Amino acid sequence: MFAIETMALTKQYGNRAAVKNLGMQVREGEIYGFIGRNGAGKSTTLKMLSGLAQPTAGEVRLFGKPVSDPAVRRRLGVLIEAAGLYPRMSARQNAMMKAKCMGLADEEAVDTVLEKTGLLETGKKKVRHFSMGMKQRLGVALALLGNPDLLILDEPINGLDPEGIREFRELLGELKEEGKTILISSHILGELSKISTGYGIIKDGELIEQITREELEEKCQDYFQIQVQDITRAVPVLEEAFPGIVAEVMDKESIRIYGAEDGAGVNRVLVEHQIPVCASGFHRMDLEDYFLERMEGGSRNV
Amino acid sequence: MFNLLRMDLYRVKRGRSVYVIFGILLFCSVAIFGMLWLLATPGGQKTALRIGMLSTEELGEFRELLDGTNVLGLFRQASLDAGMYNTLFGIWFMLFICTDFQSGFIKNIMALHQNRWRYVGSKLLTAGIVDLCYLLGHLAFTLLLNGLFGNMVPGAGWRETVFYLSYAWLLTMAFAALILFACVLFRNMAAGTLVAVLFGSGFLVMTLYRVCSLFHMGGWLEYTIYLSLATGPERYASARDLKVYLVGIGFLALYTAAAGLLLKKRDI
Repeated sequence: MFAIETMALTKQYGNRAAVKNLGMQVREGEIYGFIGRNGAGKSTTLKMLSGLAQPTAGEVRLFGKPVSDPAVRRRLGVLIEAAGLYPRMSARQNAMMKAKCMGLADEEAVDTVLEKTGLLETGKKKVRHFSMGMKQRLGVALALLGNPDLLILDEPINGLDPEGIREFRELLGELKEEGKTILISSHILGELSKISTGYGIIKDGELIEQITREELEEKCQDYFQIQVQDITRAVPVLEEAFPGIVAEVMDKESIRIYGAEDGAGVNRVLVEHQIPVCASGFHRMDLEDYFLERMEGGSRNV
Repeated sequence: MFNLLRMDLYRVKRGRSVYVIFGILLFCSVAIFGMLWLLATPGGQKTALRIGMLSTEELGEFRELLDGTNVLGLFRQASLDAGMYNTLFGIWFMLFICTDFQSGFIKNIMALHQNRWRYVGSKLLTAGIVDLCYLLGHLAFTLLLNGLFGNMVPGAGWRETVFYLSYAWLLTMAFAALILFACVLFRNMAAGTLVAVLFGSGFLVMTLYRVCSLFHMGGWLEYTIYLSLATGPERYASARDLKVYLVGIGFLALYTAAAGLLLKKRDI
């Protein structure tokens, strides 16, 4: 069963479509990484999934039910964009507010989520004096209140220090162990690749690919990358010497060679043809490389 | 909706603004009572003469200041009739709502409560409770001040007090609904403050009234919240005196519906 399923989800602002015919499926228990450039439509999609924005067309189903179903909404925890917090209240007071909003009578639940996110000791300190990372953690704490089955987190790692990121990763691991479904968007693709079990790539409002971690690993090939001074001579030389390889020119100096197993042999052939090699080495294509490739632009800024 | 109401009341209790605004209201009452005591009572006039605030020629002018009024009339004049109450109450309510939008906490609320009318309902119920506490607390303080200043004016009957307070509450609630609508529309404290001041103080209505009166067309403005509150009856005498209730209910329904529909239509 899908925790999230969207059918032809569309959001139009005037003549501009922020999200177009988006069909997303997130299985229960999955950590789903939602990737896209700034302005690609990630936050708009997440807002529609959370019921904060009305779709222009299409449908959202959470656990097989419409997003407007109050029973479904109680199974949902969200952190969209910046954490929404009252600046003149403490972490506990903010969490109490959310608990009252949900109708939670048990105040222990508040302490539990604050402890989980490392904010139990903040005492009476007002949120306006919190660092960005602390605010994000409190945002996550509020999303965790009520023990939701589905978490929608938009850029939750923003502002966290390296230790905070590691703790957050561990927290997500624990939540996954508990069987929760997590939809997470982030620009920190390296971090996302460590935790996600599936990915969705959105570009200009369209979901261009959904891929599982296993499928991604299959697609991410090893390659041998060399940096040479004379790229125009290097490519034909390599293709002649190694007929089974695929050489891809990355820029004026770099070539990626797929299918090459003998890196020393590549270097030797180039040197024999008096083509100086500045650097060389084997690489594994990661999520970031894959994403950039899908975005058709090489090493652009994610 | 009651979960939201519990949440709102939790915030009201822990916020400072509700106490600050009430403090300002009480302080203004003290200042007005002090002035009236100095100007209109024999003991006060002696002090005013001694400190040079009044001259002997002016003594007679102010002696009639308190004639024909009672403690309810004084309460009205001190806060409600001139729009001070609505301005201050409006500013508090605007701060209360706009903080939801400006802090982003509204996302936490709306992600849980798809039915936007619940939000509107809880905010108005909260306003209603605070409004009632303000009115009753302020009236009680006025009674106390009157006693402390040597019963400058006579007391008022309970029937006229209940009649006045009930329609004053209804009209101030209609004003709260207007503030809610403005906050949902602008989602901005500066714009909300402007609405609270312009409408609450009666500046807009009175300006319009004066302009319309030049063309003998100002009559319809008597059906506004501000003028209904300022010129409403002191006691129930005939069915025509119930007009103020109709104005209150009408505007309350109108602005509540407008706020709810707008909130439903717009994304968070």
